[in-house]
Amino acid sequence: MKVIEIKEVYKIYNETEIEVHAVNGVTLDFQEAEFATIVGPSGSGKTTLLNLLGGLDLPTSGQILIDGVDLSKLKSSALIDFRMKNIGFVFQAYNLIPVLTAKENVEFIMSLQKWIKKERDQRTFELLKSVGLSERANSRPAKMSGGQQQRIAVARALASRPKFVLADEPTANLDSKSATTLLEIMGKLNHEEKITFIFSTHDPRVVKMAHRVITLEDGKVVSDEVRE
Amino acid sequence: MITAIAWKNVWRNKTRSLIVISAVAIGVFAGVFTMAAINSSIIQRIDAAVNEELSHIQVNNKDFRSSNDIQNIIKDFPSVMSALRSITGVKDVTGRIIIKGIVSTSAKSTGVEINGINVEKEKKIFTLEKKLIPGTGSYFNEKSKYNTVFIGEKLAKELNIIRYIISPEALSALKNEKIPAAVISKLEPLYDQRFTSDKKFSKAFQNFLTPKEFIKYGMKIKEAAWSYREGSKIILSFLDMNNMQTGAAFRVAGIFRTNNDMFETVSLFVPIEELRTLTGMKEGTFHRAIALLDNNELTNEITPKIRAALPEYEVLNWKEIQPDLAMIADFMEQIYGIFMGIILLALAFGIVNTMLMAVLERTKELGMLMAIGMNRRKIFSMIMLESVFLSIVGGFAGMIISAVVIGITGKTGINLVKYSEGMEAFGYTAHLFPAIDVPFFITTTILIVLTGIFSSIYPARKALKLNPVEAIRTE
Repeated sequence: MKVIEIKEVYKIYNETEIEVHAVNGVTLDFQEAEFATIVGPSGSGKTTLLNLLGGLDLPTSGQILIDGVDLSKLKSSALIDFRMKNIGFVFQAYNLIPVLTAKENVEFIMSLQKWIKKERDQRTFELLKSVGLSERANSRPAKMSGGQQQRIAVARALASRPKFVLADEPTANLDSKSATTLLEIMGKLNHEEKITFIFSTHDPRVVKMAHRVITLEDGKVVSDEVRE
Repeated sequence: MITAIAWKNVWRNKTRSLIVISAVAIGVFAGVFTMAAINSSIIQRIDAAVNEELSHIQVNNKDFRSSNDIQNIIKDFPSVMSALRSITGVKDVTGRIIIKGIVSTSAKSTGVEINGINVEKEKKIFTLEKKLIPGTGSYFNEKSKYNTVFIGEKLAKELNIIRYIISPEALSALKNEKIPAAVISKLEPLYDQRFTSDKKFSKAFQNFLTPKEFIKYGMKIKEAAWSYREGSKIILSFLDMNNMQTGAAFRVAGIFRTNNDMFETVSLFVPIEELRTLTGMKEGTFHRAIALLDNNELTNEITPKIRAALPEYEVLNWKEIQPDLAMIADFMEQIYGIFMGIILLALAFGIVNTMLMAVLERTKELGMLMAIGMNRRKIFSMIMLESVFLSIVGGFAGMIISAVVIGITGKTGINLVKYSEGMEAFGYTAHLFPAIDVPFFITTTILIVLTGIFSSIYPARKALKLNPVEAIRTE
């Protein structure tokens, strides 16, 4: 089942009167439970494409449909609401809320969505267990390692069962061991939760684990390799 | 959740938040305490004016105040009294004979207003009886074969009835007050000398003391040296009903002390019968009817009613008799508004500055929150709540400090002895008892919360303008 449809999407920045085609006519589909990665050299348009998929930026032309909903047709407030309910984000720099504990960070999106406490607690417990950090539930981010923080960020991204998770270079700041652990956890959750994961990365370990590798160059898809 | 995050965010940078909270607390305390002190001074002045000098409402013959002619009496006094009594809210009434005259002793003569009073009635309306200086006699309690008069301390000093002598009694009083023997011995050159005024005496003993000793013990030395000759005689001269010069010797029955030098100097009181005998004014004739109301708040409401009931007389309430005092009382609210406005504006700038710094520091985090789906309303609420928490914590701290300090100083008082001469010349006490009412605290609390909300608007708008994509990239 198609979760995302990208149809002839262009993103052109008009900085200093010189047009920059960050995304240059991309057409792609993502299916449910895919574990896909977008690779390419710096400036190839990976992050811009991820921002467009996440509704953080709007295409200059073309359409991005999530479950049939055209993101560019949504008003600003509706788009924020749509993001909250359908898209999970994992950032390179973890970006947890520093004043909240691990548990509170995970349940944050569920609170915004007004989940009842019992369900929230249950889901938080499940996810903390899945990422192997049940015992750190009451720790604040500053007391955790980078790898642990990123695992909490993954748990937060998955908390409200989004349609897909966008991860922008999630292993870039992690050591090898932490990166491997994180990727294993994300692979497991992708399998268990049937949630689509889309990464932008330079990390060969991520590429190695991905079921699909999309390569971008100059804003265009130059290859789209699906692995069995 | 938003409230919890906002509260936790306040304590993210403890030092900065504590500085802002302290600034808010100090600002609120400064504002509230100053207002309490000024307020108490004005309330004390109004209370004194109403209870000692004027009462709430006065009724005169229309020409009386302009001419001061003894002939300008209230023609039908019983009707005036019954009209006053019939109005709801009028608690008690009395009448006075008021004559301009001259008081003289061997030392000095001065112009005065002689008030002929019904002593028993006056006790119910005025509190002047309680202002009697202990040891100077009584408020006409003792029967005397002489004419008697109740005069102010300031007038008594002017007439040389009161003087300052470092007598053996004064020395023993100073010892009882635990004034150091070294200080007492410095006063030796002044022993038994007679000083006719406060000023002259102060100047004399100041020369023998250090400035510190003068400030610390000056008041006590003056109190101890204060001396009064019982039954002093004064001469009152005035015109009688036939416009003939008349007068008589009066014994000082007692001396009162208020905070109003002018009142003490100008007004003196004699039993009305004595004045009737001397002026030839008939029984039942008065120059002024005086009405005490159930409470001061009724003044504006009842004045027009009395005016309507007594159109042929001049009806004035205390605010009209002393418009300066009424203006100050009314002006107080505006002063409060301006004063608190300035303080709150300063606080608002402090909070805006702090919150702008907080938004700037948390650009990346705010971008992340927007990205993961925290809507504008919630972002705005979070920033606003942080400002409100800062204001409320600081505001409450300020209020608690104010309440405690006002509570303590309200009992002990603040003695501005240094400025007593100037303040008392205008009728204000130099011994302040700061007081503030509950509505003032409530209004101030509301204003502080509003300041918090107002201060959050600009930083919150800044936060809302962030582009999540760019904000997340911020280092």
